[in-house]
Amino acid sequence: MSQYEELTTTMTDQQYLVEALTEMGYKPEVQTEGTALRGYGGVSWNRPVQVTIPREQLRGALAAVGFGRDDAGVFQAVIDDLDRKCGGFDESWLGRVAQAYKERQTMAVAKTKGYVFRGREIVQTPQGPKVQLRFAVR
Amino acid sequence: MQEKLITVEIDENGNSSIDLEGFQGQGCGDVAKDFRGGDSVTQSSRKREFYTRTVAEKQSQPQT
Repeated sequence: MSQYEELTTTMTDQQYLVEALTEMGYKPEVQTEGTALRGYGGVSWNRPVQVTIPREQLRGALAAVGFGRDDAGVFQAVIDDLDRKCGGFDESWLGRVAQAYKERQTMAVAKTKGYVFRGREIVQTPQGPKVQLRFAVR
Repeated sequence: MQEKLITVEIDENGNSSIDLEGFQGQGCGDVAKDFRGGDSVTQSSRKREFYTRTVAEKQSQPQT
């Protein structure tokens, strides 16, 4: 029987998280107060989640994916263990979420601080593709 | 004058690093602080230009 598991992230900003998931093609649902996450076979997670990707949007998944804030305000991903092991919603998938999140965050910081955006590139490396953002000083 | 360029690289785990071109001395630290302030950069390193400028500044200070 499958069950939900929590995977650690360092993401703290709900807006960037939602934007990152949207960029990846999902339409995440936001419940600021938090909601219960129910999964395959009626399994549930014992902490509220604020951001949810419904199962229907996760190709081949058994259950929805949630992101819930921990006591420190950091989002932790809640993923069905079978989806993590067999469905591709694993640490690598979560890493891509974190990559998209960081890109959003970096763009926002640069804009706030007045840096001029010079371009974006995907650089292939032995460790996988990296997003390269370039800025100039105004 | 050489344009000051900042390159931020983000890997597939969301880890990021920053590279600076055209900066010297404390200017590097200010930029790194800007990006690190939003926790958008998790790794940075100093280039030779930083130390070149720092040493030059020290040598130009009057001796007491």
